[in-house]
Amino acid sequence: MLISYVIRRIIWAVPFLFAASLVAFALITLPPGDYVTTLAQTLAESGDQVDQARLAALRARYGLDQPFIIQYFMWIGGVLQGDFGMSFEWNQPVAQLIWERLGLSFILEFSTLIFAWGVALPVGIYSAVRKYSAGDYVVSVIGFLGLALPNFLIALVLMYVAVVHFGVDVTGLFSPQYRDAPWSWDKFVNLLQHLWIPVIILGTSATAGLMRIMRANLLDELNKPYVVTARAKGLSEWKLILKYPVRLALNPFVSTIGWAFPQLISGAVITAYVLSLPTAGPLMLQALLAQDMYLAGAFILLLCCFSIIGMLVSDILLALVDPRIRFR
Amino acid sequence: MTTIADPRTIDMRTDAQASQWRLTWRAFRRHRLAVVSLVIVLLFYVVGAFAEFFAPFDPETTSSRHIYHPPQAIHFIDWQADGSWSIRPHVESMVVKRDPISLSATYEADPARKIYLSLFGQGQPYTMWGIFQADRHLLAAADPADRFYLLGTDRLGRDVLSRVIHGSRVSMSIGLLGVSISLVIGVLLGGISGYYGGFVDTAVQRVVELILSLPTIPIWLGLSAALPQEWSPLTRYFAITVILSLIGWTELARVVRGRFLSLRMEDFVIAARLDGGSQGRVIFRHMLPSMASHIIASVTLAIPAMIIAETALSFIGLGLTPPIISWGVLLKEAQNIRSIAQAPWLFAPGVAVCIAVLALNFLGDGLRDAADPYSNEKQ
Amino acid sequence: MNRIVSALLGGALACAISSVGPYAQEYHEAPALAAEVAAGELPPVEERLPDQPEVIAPYRELGTYGGAIRFGLRGSSDHNHILRLVGPQGLVRWDPAFTDVVPNLAESYEVNADATEFTFHLRAGLKWSDGEPFTADDVMFNVNDLLLNADFAPTPPRYMAGGEPLAAEKIDEQTVRFTFKEPAGSFLYDLAMPLGQHPVFYAKHYCSQYHPAYNADVQSLVTQSGAADWQSLFRQQCGDIEIPARWGNPDRPTMDPWIVSSPYTGGATQVTLERNPYFWQVDTDGNQLPYIDRLTADVSQDVESLILAIIGGNIDFGLRHIDSISNRPVLAENQERGNYHMFAANPGGGQYMTIDLNLTHKDPELRALFNQKDFRIALSLGMNRQEIIDTVLLGQSEPWQLGDFPGSPYYNEQLSTQYLEFDPDQANALLDKLGYERGADGIRTLPSGRKISFKIDVIPTNTPDHVDILGLIEAQWRAIGVEMKVNPLERSFFFDRITVANDHDAAVWPNNGSALVNYPTKLVPLHQDSRWAIAWMQWYESRGANGEEPPQEIKDRLALWEKIRATAVPAEREALYAELNQRAADAFEVLGVAKSITTYGIVNNDLVNVPDEMANSWEWPTPAPVLPQTWFYKTH
Repeated sequence: MLISYVIRRIIWAVPFLFAASLVAFALITLPPGDYVTTLAQTLAESGDQVDQARLAALRARYGLDQPFIIQYFMWIGGVLQGDFGMSFEWNQPVAQLIWERLGLSFILEFSTLIFAWGVALPVGIYSAVRKYSAGDYVVSVIGFLGLALPNFLIALVLMYVAVVHFGVDVTGLFSPQYRDAPWSWDKFVNLLQHLWIPVIILGTSATAGLMRIMRANLLDELNKPYVVTARAKGLSEWKLILKYPVRLALNPFVSTIGWAFPQLISGAVITAYVLSLPTAGPLMLQALLAQDMYLAGAFILLLCCFSIIGMLVSDILLALVDPRIRFR
Repeated sequence: MTTIADPRTIDMRTDAQASQWRLTWRAFRRHRLAVVSLVIVLLFYVVGAFAEFFAPFDPETTSSRHIYHPPQAIHFIDWQADGSWSIRPHVESMVVKRDPISLSATYEADPARKIYLSLFGQGQPYTMWGIFQADRHLLAAADPADRFYLLGTDRLGRDVLSRVIHGSRVSMSIGLLGVSISLVIGVLLGGISGYYGGFVDTAVQRVVELILSLPTIPIWLGLSAALPQEWSPLTRYFAITVILSLIGWTELARVVRGRFLSLRMEDFVIAARLDGGSQGRVIFRHMLPSMASHIIASVTLAIPAMIIAETALSFIGLGLTPPIISWGVLLKEAQNIRSIAQAPWLFAPGVAVCIAVLALNFLGDGLRDAADPYSNEKQ
Repeated sequence: MNRIVSALLGGALACAISSVGPYAQEYHEAPALAAEVAAGELPPVEERLPDQPEVIAPYRELGTYGGAIRFGLRGSSDHNHILRLVGPQGLVRWDPAFTDVVPNLAESYEVNADATEFTFHLRAGLKWSDGEPFTADDVMFNVNDLLLNADFAPTPPRYMAGGEPLAAEKIDEQTVRFTFKEPAGSFLYDLAMPLGQHPVFYAKHYCSQYHPAYNADVQSLVTQSGAADWQSLFRQQCGDIEIPARWGNPDRPTMDPWIVSSPYTGGATQVTLERNPYFWQVDTDGNQLPYIDRLTADVSQDVESLILAIIGGNIDFGLRHIDSISNRPVLAENQERGNYHMFAANPGGGQYMTIDLNLTHKDPELRALFNQKDFRIALSLGMNRQEIIDTVLLGQSEPWQLGDFPGSPYYNEQLSTQYLEFDPDQANALLDKLGYERGADGIRTLPSGRKISFKIDVIPTNTPDHVDILGLIEAQWRAIGVEMKVNPLERSFFFDRITVANDHDAAVWPNNGSALVNYPTKLVPLHQDSRWAIAWMQWYESRGANGEEPPQEIKDRLALWEKIRATAVPAEREALYAELNQRAADAFEVLGVAKSITTYGIVNNDLVNVPDEMANSWEWPTPAPVLPQTWFYKTH
């Protein structure tokens, strides 16, 4: 039953991806102007003069003078053959640009996810079970502070304190000597030394949210008659809580996996921008703002794939975690 | 800790006639922190609504002599040179010195000159809500020509306190309005999707997937392009709020749907259905209340997210921009090394966000407990 | 400033500026290169240098080899930042004082009397960075196969006069001559600017492999690379003057002091340039330049992280992106911590902000209003410029309308200083006389009963200061009964609304730089920066096909501008410019607010030969003309 469900979902994904790619492409072309105007603007803003005739020629070369739908089919036709096109801005194949950054994005987001879950689950359980204890208030207040302060602001303050008071540069994911080096054990260690800063910065708000949700849902379960019954039967308190209520309270957590996947790219774009992280987010932001269409389009297409996979995984997990859910 | 209610302790005589609402209110009142939070939240809204009165100055009035003026403390005891004293609130005037090369300003207190403050004093005239003309402020300088800065000033010599107060109007309403819209759509579509399952579920979930998979920035760029440029910034702000919530409902919808999927086979739901309860009644009367905690938790989490989302968008020049004043806009203006190094008081709006968020969440906790029929917490 | 114009004509005059005589001497090289020579990987320095290398007298003292200059790049569209340090190595370049054009790759040049023939003598024995000789053939390849090849790109207007492009002719291996149909008075300036590098940009022996005229099988390379056509492939491999790909291919031969080793690509987090072993300049002791081994740049997205890098002492030279007035106190206070000091960068002329009212507005009422000179005068008198300068610019400027600063041959007192005083009474009197009565809310109304209300467009992410200034002006104009609303726009909306659609009421923009090299976009509608007359600009740009035909006065000024472009005799040029200035001053179309301000960059305390003051300009690409190849490190 589950297998046929999965197959049906995958078949669904094909028309969905087409629709998504069309919407994505339309969104990219919706703002006025195109890459060439953006190029001209950027140069003008730096005080550079722009060559009008050359711009017109560029526009014709990139096909930007074509109607929207023709541009779309030119692009999607290439994508179907595995050719994502060239980035206008960088004159480089889009696929190469994306893969370069995606790996580090994965590492960063998975670490953040593990950090957020690793902290939020136990703390959430604790603050639900020991509701209104001093500990509950302390973690709640800390959590909310993390939530209420914009991540990129925390990032900036942290960067400033590190530079001015400790003389350390915390931007990026590698020290300068490892940036262009091939992968090695030392480079990996260097990555770990830098990784914890963005992980904590990005993790603060996610942790607070998850923690509160865990707490709220566990509270819903804790007062239910079945818990009371189980307790009356003399089950030990922690075993009882972990075995049933926590498992059921995980339901909303599992639902959130669906959007943890697309977050791999689109999450924390601005924080990554401030911290100059070599992840996919800032590259996507830049492509979107510069209207570098093929690069931006590829990113959005990738996001759609991720969210399809994420939703599917989350739906399957939902069924596994919660025996009450059955798919037809 | 959770203990089982002893039926004998419940006073049946008085509660017999009490409505559900009164019961809830009674339970809520027992939660002291929640009551305090409620007061704070109401205060924020009152201050926001009457911002012109609560703010000592017009938030746009600049002063070239008071750029990056540090905060001044209120002194209550007024010592005179001859040693006598009286109770008269005042701040010490400060004099600026500017380094000609670095251009940085240093302020030195000038104990000889005091600026006396008065409650409900006369200050800059204003027009409240575009209707009433008035010039009284909660706190004003005794001499209307004087200026005082309890939270310092920004790069143009504008009063930060007044700006934070005016910012609460936009920020507290963008959060509330946006979250309400998201809540309604999210619960409705999530509920329908989870309750009916099958084709409806598939359709709604595909829409959710599509929205979730599109990064918000192109949606923003695209939708901002669709909004007429002739609109005033304020009109665009309302439109943007609606758009934010049109995107924001998806996460709630997905969680609500997950819960509905698991609940619809529960005994009490089946029982209610077999009992002949209408679908609407089953959904809203039986199923929704059982996830009240989660909904309240996500709503109280969504409001700060809304406030911050607006900040993030201002970062790339979308979203709200000056001359509109909101906490997000103010934080964006403070987002640079200069503010951190030389004017940390510019982060006051961040403190306001924190207080608002904490108050809203503890209020949420109180509401949750009060609304939970199983809860028997005694504070 | 006069010397520059004389340099345009007198070819004989311009021959020997910094090239000190051809005396035989021994040449020296960097230790790393000497090791490579010893290992047989590189020919000796005498063979790598041209027959007579250009001899440069360093600004303060002779240097020693070694070290790296660290600078900060931004992640997007910052390729010109690299160019500014490496320098556009064209046939000629600007001198350090920004007063003269001096020979560069050309050892000397001659210009005929009516400025239609330009003859360049290349340095004999010049070599590309891969050791291949640089000859007149390279120039011919650049001009005939690329610059004049419409299939590659349209010919830029700088290389045209009287509507016809130049013709290039190879006299011998070291000599080329460019001939124009009509006088090209500005041609030498144009060649000295970053966009004037076209005649010597591509190495024929390398780049011709991507050109169909030289490689019949170019299509297979195109297919292999995934590029759309040969033009894209050519740009991908050989770059172009103003695209990031210029710094994307380490194999591309150049004539620059440093050559790319870690390229500036989309995913780059660090860009590195290493010394060019074939660089063609030496110091007065015969040491081959550059002194500095390499340039390195971390790529960061946010300007704030650049500031932090400076405070942390991780940047050796910085000006671009960081020189806003609001950053100055932080940078100034951390000089000791970061081991740097500040240098002044002088804009030479222009305005911190101009207000362009749309004189070709689609709305007839607003158009009529804006076209009244007295209305514009009233707006100017209603502005308290000193308050604006004291508040937003920390007192660092002075009230100014348009035009160059005193001392420039293009200075016109009336153009620059008329109607600068803050006089709300007179402003009110003027508006009263025009018949605009105040309504109940204090705002004046047009005869139709409509309020005088308009929006000024601005890009907050680009020029945050302008939003602040407009906020002050908004209050000041309200006092004279004019409602102005600040209209902050995301930048693509800004450009679309103004340059494409002409839908704006008014817009603001900085206008830095001297009339020496800048197009007078505020005097004549000839460019997208002429936001006061977009419809007329479109008419001019399309030769009457689009836009709207301007009035006779504007047509006269356009004709005057074309005449200035073609005029080579300095006195005549200045006289024509004076007439243009006077006509614009009398018309008073664009409002200026304040003079462009001198900004400050930072330089490592141990870096020697960096002047304490230099020009700040794109045309004189700061700091390239003060020759970073002569900078070196000296521990104090």
